[in-house]
Amino acid sequence: MTIVAETAISESGMIARPRRRRRGSGASLSLAVGCVLIAFVLAGVLLAPWLTGAKPLALGPDTLQAPGWAHPMGTDDLGRDVYARVLYGGRVSLMIGVVSAAVGVALGTTIGLIAGFVGGATDEALMRFTEAFQILPRLLVTIVVVALLGGGIGKVIMVIGFLSWPATARVIRSRALVLRSEEFMAAAVLSGASWLRRIVRHALPNVWGYLLVSASLQVASAVLSEAFLSFLGLGDPDRPSWGFLLQQGQLFLQQAWWLTAFPGLALAMIILGLNLLGDGLATNAARRGRR
Amino acid sequence: MIVRSVLRRLLTAAFLVFAVVAATFFLIHLAPGDPADLMAGDAPTPEFRAEVRRAYGLDRPVPEQFLTFVGKAAQGDFGTSIYYNKPVFQVIWDRAPATFLLTGSAILLATFLGVLLGVAAARRAPGKLDTLITGGSLIGYSVPGFWIGQLLVLLFAVELGWVPTGGMISARSHYTGFAYLADLGRHMALPVFTLTIFMAAMIARFTRAAMVEAFDQDYITVAEAKGVSPGRIVWHHAFRNAVVTVVTVVGLEFGAVLAGALVIEIIFGWPGLGRLFYDAIYRRDFPLLTGSFIFTSIAVVIVNALTDIACAALDPRVRR
Repeated sequence: MTIVAETAISESGMIARPRRRRRGSGASLSLAVGCVLIAFVLAGVLLAPWLTGAKPLALGPDTLQAPGWAHPMGTDDLGRDVYARVLYGGRVSLMIGVVSAAVGVALGTTIGLIAGFVGGATDEALMRFTEAFQILPRLLVTIVVVALLGGGIGKVIMVIGFLSWPATARVIRSRALVLRSEEFMAAAVLSGASWLRRIVRHALPNVWGYLLVSASLQVASAVLSEAFLSFLGLGDPDRPSWGFLLQQGQLFLQQAWWLTAFPGLALAMIILGLNLLGDGLATNAARRGRR
Repeated sequence: MIVRSVLRRLLTAAFLVFAVVAATFFLIHLAPGDPADLMAGDAPTPEFRAEVRRAYGLDRPVPEQFLTFVGKAAQGDFGTSIYYNKPVFQVIWDRAPATFLLTGSAILLATFLGVLLGVAAARRAPGKLDTLITGGSLIGYSVPGFWIGQLLVLLFAVELGWVPTGGMISARSHYTGFAYLADLGRHMALPVFTLTIFMAAMIARFTRAAMVEAFDQDYITVAEAKGVSPGRIVWHHAFRNAVVTVVTVVGLEFGAVLAGALVIEIIFGWPGLGRLFYDAIYRRDFPLLTGSFIFTSIAVVIVNALTDIACAALDPRVRR
């Protein structure tokens, strides 16, 4: 997943040279479908208390019931309502995804801006480090770190966030290199603006579009990473995420398909939505950039 | 020139391997509790703990411990698995072929499919087939592989009964020769296909982008003007320039495929490294966990160095 962020951007011509042939409606279609998917999942997750009276951790007498009127998505081995578990589980998955992506994007932006604007040996060192870091199997590193240091939502967020900066850093650095030679940056230098002001006031507003792209793809990748961890039993049983539900589903795969089908569908929908959004935004930003 | 770039890649690879081993050491020390407890497993006898302490030099100063750890790792000594009571390296070595069979087949199949789809999409870009393939590949790498695996088990193994639900070979069977291969193939079909979807989607996407760019170059116009056949333009002129992208993606995604194999192996009961990883987490067999981690990381680093070198050999422009 790490290289998706960069390619979504380079494919759409932000880095690669502009192509002659270009699709017109592709971007708006993926934006529209992406937004609908995200809105649908978000609505379900945010409105959970209004959508179901059941509690995600409340045990019930009916165990392993197939979906029906009483339980639209069935019940699990302890009689807990799967519908409620999927809705509330989304809160855990999305919270971890959004916060850890924010950590990763903030870190990546800082490193990218420093590399791009300071240049020289600093740039060389930071980019060598970033490239080397990208080679490491990120998911395996995440798993081992969480397995050794112990789980807990805070730690999971920090680990996923801290390991996900390279993609953003590389994209922002390449933008910073372009911005550095812009006239308005020279004007800022002449007007006596400090380097901090130049970066915060003049450079950052010019990379917002790219940050949005990075952020949406990073949230997708972070949600998936968390699902991976939970699926391996490294999640928090008191705050079951979608990945955790899928792990449970695996235990009863041959008896109760509904334990697997619904949490996975929610996971697939949000990741697809975020990737579509990121793709569409990247194409749009590239088009604006050329004008 | 090529010697220099190969040397540089090897140097990076060596540095990364060292970094992985060092990071593992510090993780073990950062982890809550005494590293001796971590390595001796849950509730060890005081004698065993003291023995572990001595064996790993944990009674020595930290810098010295570090050197011992790195030195042992360099000799392939990752300690002793608590559960198996065998050297970690041997446990890993017994399981590695199963994982490489799974990932290797998936990578080959995915490269073939991904290139075909990517080229087909680029040839028709923009158009209906292009939109279909681009959209399909987006879905292919968005949908979590382990969920697809579970659904495939439900459909093809539980519902239809075409293939077994899991395992690598049928238990209590003593197939030999062709029958053995057929049995293996039946067990492999679903896990390999599941892994292939994600990888093929990725490769198709990158191949398409590289081919679209290649088609835009002047030498394609020249080739068209010369009257070169379309097939030859696609494969001989355009694809030759896109092949570096394909090799790079395959190399870069190798780590992701290994991580993907981890969950796929759990779903399909495939007796490989992923299953080992999982059991190590569950049994709190930390020497086995860190050993498997170092081993797979080294495999990923080596594959990346090889793909880099392959790229340099395929395309002189990559050599810096």
